[in-house]
Amino acid sequence: MLKMTHLSKVYRTEVVETYALRDFNINVKEGEFVAVTGPSGSGKTTFLTIAGLLETFTGGHYHLDGIEVSQLNDNARSKIRNEKIGFIFQAFNLIPDLNVYDNVEVPLRYRGMKAAERKQRIMDALERVGLASRAKHYPAELSGGQQQRVAIARALAGSPRLLLADEPTGNLDTQMARGVMELLEEIHREGATIVMVTHDPELAARAQRNVHIIDGQVVDLAEEPRFHAHNARVADA
Amino acid sequence: MDMQVGPILSALRRHKAGAVLIALQIALTLAILCNALFIVHQRLSHLSEPTGLDEANIFVIQNEWVGKASYAQLDAEARADLEVLRRLPGVADVTTSNSYPLRGAGWDDGIRLHPDQLTDTTGATVYFADEHFVRTLGLKLVAGRDFRAGDIGVMAAQDRLDPSQVIVTRALADTLFHGDTAVGRTLYLAGSPATIVGVVDRLQAQSVARWAADFAHRVVIVPRRLTSTLGTYYIVRTHPGQLAAAMRAAPAALVARNPRRMFDPRMGVLSFAQVRERAYESDRGMATLMGVISAVLLAITAAGIVGVTSFRVGQRRRQIGVRRALGATRHDIVRYFLVENLLVSGSGILLGVLLALAMNLWLILRFGMQGLSPAYLAAGVAVLLLLGQAAALAPALRASRVPPVEATRAG
Ligand SMILES: Nc1ncnc2c1ncn2[C@@H]1O[C@H](COP(=O)(O)OP(=O)(O)OP(=O)(O)O)[C@@H](O)[C@H]1O
Ligand SMILES: [Mg+2]
Repeated sequence: MLKMTHLSKVYRTEVVETYALRDFNINVKEGEFVAVTGPSGSGKTTFLTIAGLLETFTGGHYHLDGIEVSQLNDNARSKIRNEKIGFIFQAFNLIPDLNVYDNVEVPLRYRGMKAAERKQRIMDALERVGLASRAKHYPAELSGGQQQRVAIARALAGSPRLLLADEPTGNLDTQMARGVMELLEEIHREGATIVMVTHDPELAARAQRNVHIIDGQVVDLAEEPRFHAHNARVADA
Repeated sequence: MDMQVGPILSALRRHKAGAVLIALQIALTLAILCNALFIVHQRLSHLSEPTGLDEANIFVIQNEWVGKASYAQLDAEARADLEVLRRLPGVADVTTSNSYPLRGAGWDDGIRLHPDQLTDTTGATVYFADEHFVRTLGLKLVAGRDFRAGDIGVMAAQDRLDPSQVIVTRALADTLFHGDTAVGRTLYLAGSPATIVGVVDRLQAQSVARWAADFAHRVVIVPRRLTSTLGTYYIVRTHPGQLAAAMRAAPAALVARNPRRMFDPRMGVLSFAQVRERAYESDRGMATLMGVISAVLLAITAAGIVGVTSFRVGQRRRQIGVRRALGATRHDIVRYFLVENLLVSGSGILLGVLLALAMNLWLILRFGMQGLSPAYLAAGVAVLLLLGQAAALAPALRASRVPPVEATRAG
């Protein structure tokens, strides 16, 4: 589904070159639920934005669903984002000027879907996240957990094959985080591929597979002593 | 293609202030623009209206006598002057009158069809003329005959105006007789009966004021030389190409014959082109002013639209990034801001059309302006729609360059 080989990403400013990712290799199979962990600044978000075609990369190869994406133009990338990928951001990123219904509708409209089908999908998605009764509410009138569920509904409504989540529970309390996680697990059971960045070891443990990133590279957990020490601390707590 | 009118409208409803301000500005600009352009057009169309004269070959001398003289002496002096001018090289013919078209002042009088009528049928400009008048001015006689030398009388300003024969313009004849034959009919000029002996195709009145527009070509020509202590006008027609030379030679020749006279340094000798220039000076000034006001208003409105759209783009960078992440193409983003502008401009334009009509109605009632032609309204609407879209385009393009990764940036 998602395959990166020897991929690198360099941020150049006038003074420094930062390697956000270097010789980065990952292979996420169709239907997998992968949790991505790693220290702050290690390159998790960078990986996710490249995976989601929000940004280009500097070197290496990236195949998404069998397509080499570095060859695609801006319009083709937009189309893939719209049809194959669902995004869930830490900051929810709902559009404050639009109510819940209109927010969920945004990607469907860019797909050029007919109004009747849009309505069907929006109500289904809101039903799934338990917010059908809030369709006319504006984001500011909802709690953080509710907003994130709307964001998930928005990501789901287009039935994407790949769901990318960057710390989806980072701004939520434990209770709400659990609700969101259960929702993601349910979506995964229905066949979606999910890649989720998280700082929460408990949530990471619930994924099928964990990928750890340090200094812009995927490291094998078994050979990384720091990870064992970290886990030990969590266990003690 | 999904224009997204619904969601754009609901988003607009949550940011009313800016949108309403721009809509009002557009409405006001449209209303002023339509009316200003209409006024300009009316003034300018007036400007090129032909007088009926052979304008290219005519110049006018304003002669003022110095010292006292009897009316008989003044008339003799004037006739001697006309002879001198007629003998100048390049001169085709010369006449004398109390005024001439576009001069701005002269003699107006009431015309009636019956002696016992209580009010005038119409007003008309009165030009005093001798037997050279029609030929010198280059008027086209369309019916009847010209004055003969024997028809011409002499009168002073305080004498009663009672010519037995007159020549009228076609416009005056049509006003009086609605297309029936005019030659041979009688009209009452200042109460005295006069028979119409001739009709000229076209001859403009002395006034170009707006109130006189309806009377602009209602003219009666009387066979009288008007003698006045204030002076008189000599109208000279030259052969083609001789105008400048004759204009230079004429004052010197007149002074050589009798030096007891003055020519106003600015107004003394004028080509007809200069006469026309002076007559429409204020109209042209008005048109320029209206044009400048319209241009400034349009510029301010465009700047306002650019400003507000740029502000909204800046405010919504994150949102634009999110839309891009969710699959919007650059095109979709540009379209979003153009449609948003269309909705705001459109409501402003609707309001502006009503405002323009209201403003026009006020001008009609207050200043007797004509009804705004729909073409001006349509042109104004088109100009503002295009202006709105053009002004929104640059900020919209900037919006489309917001990268999708903006969605992931904190803040
Ligand atoms: N736009 C940018 N310009 C320059 N450097 C950047 C940019 N974005 C990220 N970086 C750098 O790339 C590296 C990886 O950043 P990234 O945001 O991917 O880390 P992260 O693992 O998501 O961190 P966190 O857990 O704090 O979210 C960091 O050193 C960061 O400073
Ligand atoms: Mg991050």
